Amino acid sequence: MNSILNEFKSTSALCEEELHDSLYDWDTANGFALPTFEFPAVHNLNRFMKDITSASAPCQIEIQHGTTTLAFKFKSGVIVAADSRASQGNYVSTSSVKKIIEINPFLLGTMAGGAADCTFWQRELGRQCRLYELRNKERISVAAASKLLANMIYRYKGMGLSMGTMVTGWDKTGPKIFYVDSDGTRVDGELFSVGSGSPFAYGIIDNGFDFDLDVPSAIDLGKRAIYHATHRDGASGGTVNLYHVKPDGWARIGRWDVEDLHWEFQDQPKPSPINSSVIG
Amino acid sequence: MTDRYSFSLTTFSPSGKLVQIEYALKAVAQGVTSIGIKATNGVVIATEKKSASSLIDDSSLEKVAVVCPNIGMVYSGMGPDFRVLTTKARKAAQKYKRIYDEYPPTGILVKEVASVMQEFTQSGGVRPFGVSLLVCGYDEKGPGLYQVDPSGSYWAWKASAIGKNMVNAKTFLEKRYNDDMELEDAVHTAIITLKEGFEGEMNEHSIEIGVIGGGNFGFGPGKEEPVFKKLTPEEIKDYLANIV
Amino acid sequence: MSGKNCVAIASDKRFGVKYLTISMEFPKMFQATDKTFIGISGLATDVQTLMERFRFKINMYRMNEERDFEPITLANMVSSTLYERRFSPYFVEPIVAGLDKNNNPYINGMDLIGCSTTACDFAATGTPEDQLYGTCEALWEPNLEPEELFETISQTIMSATNRDCVSGWGAVVHVITPERVITRTLKTRMD
Repeated sequence: MNSILNEFKSTSALCEEELHDSLYDWDTANGFALPTFEFPAVHNLNRFMKDITSASAPCQIEIQHGTTTLAFKFKSGVIVAADSRASQGNYVSTSSVKKIIEINPFLLGTMAGGAADCTFWQRELGRQCRLYELRNKERISVAAASKLLANMIYRYKGMGLSMGTMVTGWDKTGPKIFYVDSDGTRVDGELFSVGSGSPFAYGIIDNGFDFDLDVPSAIDLGKRAIYHATHRDGASGGTVNLYHVKPDGWARIGRWDVEDLHWEFQDQPKPSPINSSVIG
Repeated sequence: MTDRYSFSLTTFSPSGKLVQIEYALKAVAQGVTSIGIKATNGVVIATEKKSASSLIDDSSLEKVAVVCPNIGMVYSGMGPDFRVLTTKARKAAQKYKRIYDEYPPTGILVKEVASVMQEFTQSGGVRPFGVSLLVCGYDEKGPGLYQVDPSGSYWAWKASAIGKNMVNAKTFLEKRYNDDMELEDAVHTAIITLKEGFEGEMNEHSIEIGVIGGGNFGFGPGKEEPVFKKLTPEEIKDYLANIV
Repeated sequence: MSGKNCVAIASDKRFGVKYLTISMEFPKMFQATDKTFIGISGLATDVQTLMERFRFKINMYRMNEERDFEPITLANMVSSTLYERRFSPYFVEPIVAGLDKNNNPYINGMDLIGCSTTACDFAATGTPEDQLYGTCEALWEPNLEPEELFETISQTIMSATNRDCVSGWGAVVHVITPERVITRTLKTRMD
């Protein structure tokens, strides 16, 4: 009799935890805390995560490794631009990814590496930034925001996170660009390009850059840089998305299909798709 | 040791002739006669099968050889040399089939065999073959008949004869041949030609006949192509019965 | 891709190393006979080497035999050439497409060591092979006339290469008919 009772009375540790979470979620501070994750029960977590996320793993879980993103400062702010291709291996999974993430009206983040990692952590960054604003009654600086991000992902270093991102915005100190990646790197700079197409983008920017560029020319330079990268880099393509960061926040300038840009930059009309010749 | 003697035995005489080849042709001219006739719908090759002794089981003698399903050949001259050439020709045909998954056209096979024979007139340590060949086949261009000599030279013929009685046989063929001849007729003509100057009794065991074309079709699944076929003694007997 | 008394063969024009695009004018097909083409996808150096070897063999055959290769014979030759390298293969996957002497379509696809499959509808090789077969299955139908066949194969290769990171950058299409070969270049996306 008792033994049967005992069987039903006993609850597992997991059940108790879940019960606690749903009934006693009154601790507001708990809601502000950083996200937590369940880990697989393996002996060496770092080794395990590294193994299953490496490029040579039998089932690679990352998508969207190839990318071209760029950001550069000039006299009227920052130009941020990116392509829109997401690939899994050689397969183009979509050509309409928004790789520039609007963290808040004054902050932009760019996406390179794992799509899920980038979106998740930058959304989390947006939340942290908003909490900062509410607590301190002023906007967070780009330096602080990027440091928040860097510190968050540093906790997972070596466990397979994959992101190369630029946090850009305009704060009290003026326009700012910080490069942050999943290795823990965080650097301030004037010009960055991230992703497999970055060498091509750097080539175009370095060649055409001038700090005193007017806004239309700067926009054109960013557009060209991304277009050329998509042309030469197989893992980049789709459309160019471009933002301009100004003192009163960022503005979305536009989105251009690189197919249209190709013929525009070749100074040729967009052709009818077929050019035929008949061999007798 | 072998190296020392591996110069060519076939060398030019002061008068510009390769006497070894002429001797080879002499060997051919001493061989038993063989006949080949090309008809509109096929080819026939025929030869005498003469054994040195009545004690020899002549059913084991083979003078008409199948090279591949669409090609056969016969010789005049030295039997052992012919056997070597048959092996080489069969190997060449199979090699061709391995590459292209089809048997060679007659001309290609002949060219291959002729190249071998030419090589033996120029290589070190060897002598020319003591045989002339009549090669017959059927390909997309139709029936074909070729003669190949010890020198390696070859010609396509409408009808030809080689061996001991070749001069008379050719004269006979020139008279009998016409362009509209069909295979049945050609087989008869071949037998009659052989009969001219045949020593001893001609019966189904003393001659050998090979034909391609006519009614013999089909090798390989679904393929309607002529096949080379050696006539059985019974079939030869039927032909002989029609000739008095 | 086969049609009614016609066949079409198409390839993209990209040559690249991994994700780096080096050339956009790299032909992967050549005319073997009046009515037969060979297309080769794979490692660029092997593609070029094999094109030269096949050209050599085709010319030798034409001179030796005083006739042109039938598509099926050509495919057998290609297959045996590849199998010669069974244990150190060329990294290529060729396609033979043409009309035989009765103007019937012939299409043949091969793996790198010459295992050939004859198809009555279509064959595809290369990095976007999966995409190509998908679009072929969707767009192809029997007995297409040359112009319809052209439209079908063009849409097929463009759709498929647009879903592949390392294919595209222009395409070439040959439509082989009993009377003539129609060659057209497609201007595709360049990314």
